[in-house]
Amino acid sequence: MLWHKAWLETRWRFISAVLILTVMAGGNVYGWLATRALLPQLNTTTISPAAEATGLGSVIREAVELNKTFRGYIWYQAFRQNLTQMGVLFAVVLGCGGLVTESTQGSALFTLSLPITRRRLVGTRAGVGLAQCFAMAIVPSLVIPILSPAVGERFGLVDALAHGLCIFFVGAVFFSLASFLSTLFGDIWRPMLIAISIACALAFASLVIPQLRIFSVMSGETYFKTGSLPWAGLLTSAVIATALLYSAAETLERRDF
Amino acid sequence: MFTEAEVHVVSDRPVIETAGLWKRYEGVEALRGLDLQVPSGSIFGFLGRNGSGKTTTIKVLLGMARPSRGEARVFGCSPSGQDGVEIRRRTAFVSDEKDLYDYMAVGEIVAFTRSFYPRWRADLEQQYLRKFELPLDRNIKGLSRGMRTKLAMLLALCRGADLLMLDEPTSGLDPAMAEEVLQALVGHVAAQESTVFFSSHQLAEVEQIADHVAIIDRGQTVVSDALDDLRARYRRIQLVFEGDAPEIRVHAPGTHRVRRQGRVITVLSSSSGDAVIQELRGYRPSSFDVSPVSLKDIFLESVRTED
Repeated sequence: MLWHKAWLETRWRFISAVLILTVMAGGNVYGWLATRALLPQLNTTTISPAAEATGLGSVIREAVELNKTFRGYIWYQAFRQNLTQMGVLFAVVLGCGGLVTESTQGSALFTLSLPITRRRLVGTRAGVGLAQCFAMAIVPSLVIPILSPAVGERFGLVDALAHGLCIFFVGAVFFSLASFLSTLFGDIWRPMLIAISIACALAFASLVIPQLRIFSVMSGETYFKTGSLPWAGLLTSAVIATALLYSAAETLERRDF
Repeated sequence: MFTEAEVHVVSDRPVIETAGLWKRYEGVEALRGLDLQVPSGSIFGFLGRNGSGKTTTIKVLLGMARPSRGEARVFGCSPSGQDGVEIRRRTAFVSDEKDLYDYMAVGEIVAFTRSFYPRWRADLEQQYLRKFELPLDRNIKGLSRGMRTKLAMLLALCRGADLLMLDEPTSGLDPAMAEEVLQALVGHVAAQESTVFFSSHQLAEVEQIADHVAIIDRGQTVVSDALDDLRARYRRIQLVFEGDAPEIRVHAPGTHRVRRQGRVITVLSSSSGDAVIQELRGYRPSSFDVSPVSLKDIFLESVRTED
């Protein structure tokens, strides 16, 4: 029944996240019609020398090139931008809360009086949260191949699942980070703000340090370009997520209520 | 898990034992060498002023907080680690605030709690649902404080627990509701032969249902005994003089408080009073009266009010 409690605590956050991400993914598919109509008007030669000098020109050219095909457009718009960025945000939102937050609301003593260990509490909440993260990554991804025929295109089911898997693994890192931070702070705002700040810092740092390109793993860039999953990145994400959840359990174990 | 043999052995010893229990929270010493023994089968009233360490003691006993020093044992086991799970399986707890999960309905939290207790009493569940008039489909968020308390009591009483640990069970309730909750508690204990350990500010209700009491002050036990023994031991001795009462100094052991007001001197004694009475008669008062005292008098005398 602990899973039921964890579900009840997070269900509205989860349902909202899945709905929003699904609508965004569907919107991206239907947005292809407008993009396809605009493509002939795009002229990459209009990029100013100043933009070329800063490297912005190559970024714009890459975007234009990617948007010329439906597969490239979907990867660029959905997997590289919307589902990745919003996926991080919702993974953090799902990870916030738990026993320490309960203690500020008063119900923690009831939970702690139950004949269960704190590790089981953390484990169950993490299990439910990770299952939600998985659904949050896979459901919107699957919407893309399902809706693609409506715009006269096709998107591979396996491709969608592969990208969904990448979103899940990296999303799990941010879920675990928020879970860990939630064992340190009683409110949900500080864990949320700190986790999102770390995500933003990583995004900027990855521009300078290529090894920190966690969002490249999340978008499945390697899979899009070469057809093989970023195994090292996924494994690293799994290890980091496990370490964060273990730290959360350890912190909670030592805490006085 | 406890074996049958262990259960048998621990039944002869105090259900709760603490020895030299210390707990420090961020520089504040909530418990300072607390010694406590709660006999099996007793209804044990745990008294103290606000901030005296009652709730901290309960938290340590249930493994919610770890002692800084000293020892705490419930059913002969330490509350930390795996034994803590077994202690909580045999213990029902109601917190001071009675905060439950606001997002659950009454029926949901009953089903949720039931799932953790193999000895859950489905018959009592039905009985208390009717008695307390708790609507299964009502959201907990919408319950009044009284209804929340009743629900918290139901969740505790149906666990089939050997020990009920209640932190201020009637706080915030009107007298009628408080009486209803107390009667349910007394009726339950009479039928189930469990031990009750409850903290309270309500001295009248402690006197009404407890057979043992402990008074703690600033994290230490200052009085602990069977209530009847306390009543038998403590005496108020009143001396009235013809003129102004003289300054007196009582040396006999067991003298707690000496108050001098005009022609009257009042002495509180905790040792049947024989030696104290002998000594006080030496002052030759015009009238001399020895009377029993209430728990309130003992409480007020035991907890220091100066800071």
